[in-house]
Amino acid sequence: MENSSAFDKIMDGLDIETYLVCSDVQEGKRLALQLGKEMNLGDVDIMFEEFDGYGMRVRLRKYIYKPGNAYRWLK
Amino acid sequence: MVTEIFQPKKILCVPLDPVHDVGIKLINAELVKHGHTTELLAPDLPIESIIKKAAAGRYDFILVSRTLGYGIAELLARFVDQLDAAGIRERTKIVIGGKAVTPELAAELGFDKGFDEHASIEHITAYIEGREAAAQSASIKKVKKNIPSGHSYTFHHKEIEALLERIVDKTLRWSEGKTTPGIRRAHLREEILHTKENAKHEQLELQYHELCDREIVEGNSEHHFPKGVRIVRNDELNDLEKMLNSHNPHNPVTIQHNAGQPLVFKFLGSGCPVMDIMHGKICERWGIDGFLIINPSWEARYEGLLEGMLTHENDGTITSLENIRLMKRWLDPATLLTVRAHRGLNTPETTLLAGEAGADLTKIDLVYGSLGAGTDPERLTMDGIESIRIAGKYKMAFDIPGNDELSGVPAWKTLAGLLINVMLGKKLGTHAILKPLFCYGPHIVLNGQMKLNFVDYNAAKIHALKEIVDCPIWPGEPIAFMTQTEDRVQSANATSYHASLAASLGVDAITIASTDEAYSRGPISIASRIDSIRAVTDAFRFMGNADIAPTPAMQAFKNQLIEKITETLRAAAEAEHLPDAINKGILGNAEDGAYPGKFGKGTVTSAGIQ
Repeated sequence: MENSSAFDKIMDGLDIETYLVCSDVQEGKRLALQLGKEMNLGDVDIMFEEFDGYGMRVRLRKYIYKPGNAYRWLK
Repeated sequence: MVTEIFQPKKILCVPLDPVHDVGIKLINAELVKHGHTTELLAPDLPIESIIKKAAAGRYDFILVSRTLGYGIAELLARFVDQLDAAGIRERTKIVIGGKAVTPELAAELGFDKGFDEHASIEHITAYIEGREAAAQSASIKKVKKNIPSGHSYTFHHKEIEALLERIVDKTLRWSEGKTTPGIRRAHLREEILHTKENAKHEQLELQYHELCDREIVEGNSEHHFPKGVRIVRNDELNDLEKMLNSHNPHNPVTIQHNAGQPLVFKFLGSGCPVMDIMHGKICERWGIDGFLIINPSWEARYEGLLEGMLTHENDGTITSLENIRLMKRWLDPATLLTVRAHRGLNTPETTLLAGEAGADLTKIDLVYGSLGAGTDPERLTMDGIESIRIAGKYKMAFDIPGNDELSGVPAWKTLAGLLINVMLGKKLGTHAILKPLFCYGPHIVLNGQMKLNFVDYNAAKIHALKEIVDCPIWPGEPIAFMTQTEDRVQSANATSYHASLAASLGVDAITIASTDEAYSRGPISIASRIDSIRAVTDAFRFMGNADIAPTPAMQAFKNQLIEKITETLRAAAEAEHLPDAINKGILGNAEDGAYPGKFGKGTVTSAGIQ
């Protein structure tokens, strides 16, 4: 139990909500995807993004499990 | 715009989404207005039926609306393949629009063009017509609002008016011939700011520092600042300038759905003016109408103020002239700025600096400043009177936050205190703004006024004040105080419900929290600021011109509040003057959880003794 990964205990998905300073929508999206990689999450989905001129409000999602996967938190 | 070379197009509009076809219906309507021939299919037809229809007519464009989701890319790719196979692609452009569509993804799937959910109808119409989209306004040009305008400051409740006149007249008479180090520093600071002669300037600085605590003298003369304070570096200022010169608000938003809804304010006080300005600019884009600069609590306890552009590691931004000017420089000219002045030993000077920096408002409450914020009542009464005079000189109104209610003071005592400030403003020629709390305060929790709902008692406060005096009302501070938790959805909801109530009650302005307001271990984040602004924008859209109906209990609460405010003021009018009333606990006592402050005790002297 002590050795189990906290990731294993995420029920389904992990959301990251933040504000990225950027110059346009394309840069914001690129940074959002890069953030997922820099956080070792691999490919993340951009669920929501809104560029306001100074940066982008984003909500990123990484699914840990797809439906039907073996849920490690169930063990 | 229809031009001379305009040629109408034949367009097939295809809602591929099983349910949502509103977007394509709007586009269809606009294309018809522009003179194009369109056909709008029913939603969710089988692909084969759509292909059959598309093959039968000679369309210039097929517009498809579809939110991209799980497995939808395959469906769309199959749709494009079948259009290809039917030879339709040769003569018809295929366009897709919807949530999560990107131009890159559209191209990948074989579409000629893709529009995401943020694309305007004008952009889509312009594409169809083969022209540039008309430029959209880069910014919403706001007009700065004057909150007191439209209010007569007439007291409708004549007994309350007479009692307030007695209290204020006695207090003003008591204050005559007296001074404090805070008042003297404000006068010296004014001279310093307007003296060009070097020798005189130095002499005035020396006199100023004689009236300051050691920490302030060391900070100003040796740059040996209190812990966590440092000067903002030139390179930081240059970078800020570059950043703000190269970024402009994109698609700016208005929070209000109609002109009758209240202005919306937020706090600025991260500790760092550079961060405050960035937050301020972003909040302006999201529609915020004004900001309250909140200073560090320690700043209020020292005699004297630090000078220069200074940043601070902890909560609260130092209200030096340079910091206020920096914020004023970068905020939009229509954005209202109020500076908190009333919490300590520098009230008159802070008001002076706010006025010199071009702030619009200052925050002064003689009663709360003494009872909830720790300053000796005599000292704050003297300093507050001078501040109200200074505010008037700079044509700044002052807002009066009734936050003593948070200590446990009953609402009627707090409201009585606010009204004393209003009368002081009236006598001294300065406009006041009432700031009753929309909160779940300790006295309310203990006495059950909000047991059934949060509507009646908050509404009763506003109706009571409106029945007493015609004065602007700006619930705060922030609204929903003590109902918010660290959960962002709960916090945003609590703020938006209270904002809806405020709009329904027709108040002039509100102050809103961010969704991390209840988190006390660090500064506010910009994402949390945007959260609550979005929540209020949606709340105002939801409410529109509708009202929230309180229950009959509201009337009973309102009548009780007016009766008890009157009783409180009767007792205060029997006291020698305002500090005496505060010291006697008439406006809040130990049982309520309110204690007269100690900072600056014994510093009120005869104006002749210096």
